[in-house]
Amino acid sequence: MSNDAIAKLRAIVGEQHVIDAAPDMAGHLKGSGIPLAVVLPGQTSQVSDIVKLANQLNLKISVGGAVADTKNLDGGIALIMSRMNNLLEIDRENLVAHVEPGMSHLEFIRQAAAQNLNFPVDPYRFEASSIGGCFAVGDTDAKSFQYGPTRTYLLGFEMVLPTGEVLDIGNKCIKNVAGYDFIHFAVGSQGTLGIFTKLLVKLLPMPETKASVVATFPTIKQASESIQTLVKRNIHPTRVSLFSQPLAAGIVPGIADQLVMIGFEGFKESTKALTREIAAVFSLAGGGGVRVIEDRAEHDELWQKWQAAKGRLNCGYSTQTIDYSVGPLKLAKSLDGLAGIVGDLASWPGINVEALLGNIRVVLPAAMPEEDKAALAVKINALAMAHGGNVSDCLGARLVCESYRDTEMWETVTGLLETIRRQFDPQGIMAPGVIFS
Amino acid sequence: MLAKTIVNRLERIVGDKNVITSKVALIAYGYDATLLAGMPVGVVFPANTEEVVELVKAANELDFTLVPRGAGTNLSGGALGDVNSTSVVVAFSRMKKIWEIDTENFLATIEPGYVNFEFQEELGKKGFYYPPDPASYKAATMGGNLGECSGGPRCFKYGVTRDYVLGLEVVLMNGKVIQTGGRNFKSECGLDLTRIFVGAEGTLGFITKITVRILPLPPAKRTMLAIFHKAEDASRTVADIVAAGIVPTTLEMMDGLMMIIAEDANNIGLPRDAGALLIIEVDGYAVDLDGQVSTISEICSKNNVREFKIARTAQEVDKIWLARRTAIGACGKRRPSYSMQDITVPRSVFPEAVSGIIQCASDLNLEIGILAHAGDGNFHPMVLFDQRLEDESHRVHAAEGILCQMALDLKGSITGEHGIGLLKKPFMDKQFSPVGLEVFRKIKRSFDPANRLNPGKIIDL
Repeated sequence: MSNDAIAKLRAIVGEQHVIDAAPDMAGHLKGSGIPLAVVLPGQTSQVSDIVKLANQLNLKISVGGAVADTKNLDGGIALIMSRMNNLLEIDRENLVAHVEPGMSHLEFIRQAAAQNLNFPVDPYRFEASSIGGCFAVGDTDAKSFQYGPTRTYLLGFEMVLPTGEVLDIGNKCIKNVAGYDFIHFAVGSQGTLGIFTKLLVKLLPMPETKASVVATFPTIKQASESIQTLVKRNIHPTRVSLFSQPLAAGIVPGIADQLVMIGFEGFKESTKALTREIAAVFSLAGGGGVRVIEDRAEHDELWQKWQAAKGRLNCGYSTQTIDYSVGPLKLAKSLDGLAGIVGDLASWPGINVEALLGNIRVVLPAAMPEEDKAALAVKINALAMAHGGNVSDCLGARLVCESYRDTEMWETVTGLLETIRRQFDPQGIMAPGVIFS
Repeated sequence: MLAKTIVNRLERIVGDKNVITSKVALIAYGYDATLLAGMPVGVVFPANTEEVVELVKAANELDFTLVPRGAGTNLSGGALGDVNSTSVVVAFSRMKKIWEIDTENFLATIEPGYVNFEFQEELGKKGFYYPPDPASYKAATMGGNLGECSGGPRCFKYGVTRDYVLGLEVVLMNGKVIQTGGRNFKSECGLDLTRIFVGAEGTLGFITKITVRILPLPPAKRTMLAIFHKAEDASRTVADIVAAGIVPTTLEMMDGLMMIIAEDANNIGLPRDAGALLIIEVDGYAVDLDGQVSTISEICSKNNVREFKIARTAQEVDKIWLARRTAIGACGKRRPSYSMQDITVPRSVFPEAVSGIIQCASDLNLEIGILAHAGDGNFHPMVLFDQRLEDESHRVHAAEGILCQMALDLKGSITGEHGIGLLKKPFMDKQFSPVGLEVFRKIKRSFDPANRLNPGKIIDL
């Protein structure tokens, strides 16, 4: 049976694009599951044929740009999109690009930049991320205060549905409300609704200038209060990030304090004025090593390190971190509350704040038992709710329901999600590692 | 006629005085801003989520259909009774509470019957605003805006309703209440239910509470008016401004005919022999705006602008906007009826679409004025006519078809911000493949398998 399946897969994509020897597969796999094979399709029709075959033989499929998750994938197909990595079109007049999902996210940013166009969404896992993964995960919007959320940048796509049909949806118009908004519903769906085979991506003109301000603060409290001051003054940079010392050390080796990084992508005049204003605010607030960085190479290098640091955090998302959001002006208070729960924040394993989004990532101690993690998540969610926010994603939705003692609502939500999933994927073959409940 | 058992049940749920069944009173709920009509058999006005839940249960038990309705300003026929006239309209005019305006969290929670304009006024008092502001915002409700995923003149820079909705309370068709999303601006991983309700035109569930993102008012803004001899010059100006890397909040276009119509109504001094005007607005930090204004001014000059004005005072800003904000209503002075279209094309073919609309008007011997959110490539061709003249009405319907087909031939969309409803339903299979239409059916079936909520809108099951 498995030989038969492999033979059929080879017939679809070609001998050399099916890998079934364990050592050769390893580089494409994440987690401990053991799939039947790693398959690298080269075009949409092959993806469609693979999906149809998987339905016939009842094989699970997990998709990745370069690496696929193997959770619950034993005996299934790890579909790696890295051969479908072409930039098909950049349309400068309409500020859109057609791109295949396997192109590296960073490469896509570079290719757009070479044409003086801006794709503002940060990669989720730095060099490992593909552009298809960017939209399949959807959660890469540290710059969204200025640029809008990740989903805004997807105008359409070609997708192989879980039953093998090819869907082509969307167009180069910024506004399009014809039919249900499946285009944006698909963003973040993690492969449960289908496999992207082509993406139509919105781009922006390059900003006139980029610059940064960096500073260090002895405590998280000082740092968070200082950055909150900026928001109060209606200063809205592109990114306002805070890393506690253990995480900051990954960006500035040997750093002894908490690191604040402010990035501007905008117009020259305001950038010049506001970076100086921020530097003055930080110095007055007790910030150390306050610097305005106007040199473009130095700015770019700094934010590459930032992307790498965020990528490391995202690797442990949901297993090694708890993520919550409150409003940008509730940051400092909520961090005070967090210190009340976990103790001194500076000596905790790691805190990362994206201030304009009011988003706080709490890194958990490596050896923390699962039940302690769960208990901490409940406390953090209560804290976030008290400040008008909540823990992110599915976990947050469940915790909010639980805090209302409303198990019925949680069951209704997960039941609805399952119903939608079954409508699209009646055999339940796609993304076996993604479990909504 | 609604069965007595149903009427009794409805009256028990919302109270006697909040149920309408008399034919005369129903007329007010049997039309919207389109030319379509669809009388419901009853109208109910729930006061809260619990009453909506009871209405859904009643519909399931006694087998009737429900149609949600805000202010009825929609341009798709989406809030009308269904063709078989078995629908009870659920009107949200009593659910217009503000639960909170939280300027520290940059969000507000409101009920769906709340009117966009009143919301803007409340936010303005606190130095905040809510970017989507459709032309009908003085009457249109937030629930309706959400259902249609409304846009408005500011979306070129700020995006549409979809990008501002953070979370919802929804009554599902099984009578259960859920919350979707949350209070985060961050994207949600997993299936983001909020997104599928936005723009679903009230066919998947009843939205009973809406949490939206609000923003501090921009520190500075400049409003410009540019008048051109020829519409083509205005189109080229739009393309050049975008190519120069400027992202204006607004790039609104009106053609010569719409200028005459606005001038007839308002006497604001617009020329009667111009080709088109553009209203251009930029916002941001004050120090950045002079540079952008001078770039825009140069681009306009290069494209043979006939008159270029920068508003110096708030009164001058209002005067510039008056023409645009009143243009649609002012059409009534010229002809008794209008049919407003909502096609969208990629920006690069904007001039072709302008020519296509002019050609369509001349081919069918109709007057068609052009309003456009030009930065978005979103056109509202205004087909002016007299509904009492049968022959002319036929030609108007022909024009609707021709314009939709033109948008699709130019690789655009049959609707940019008004939605499908009943009006555009006949064109759905021209924009979408059978696979695409089946995807929509899968979505509808997931939420409303019995097809009791706003049946027949967007797509037939």
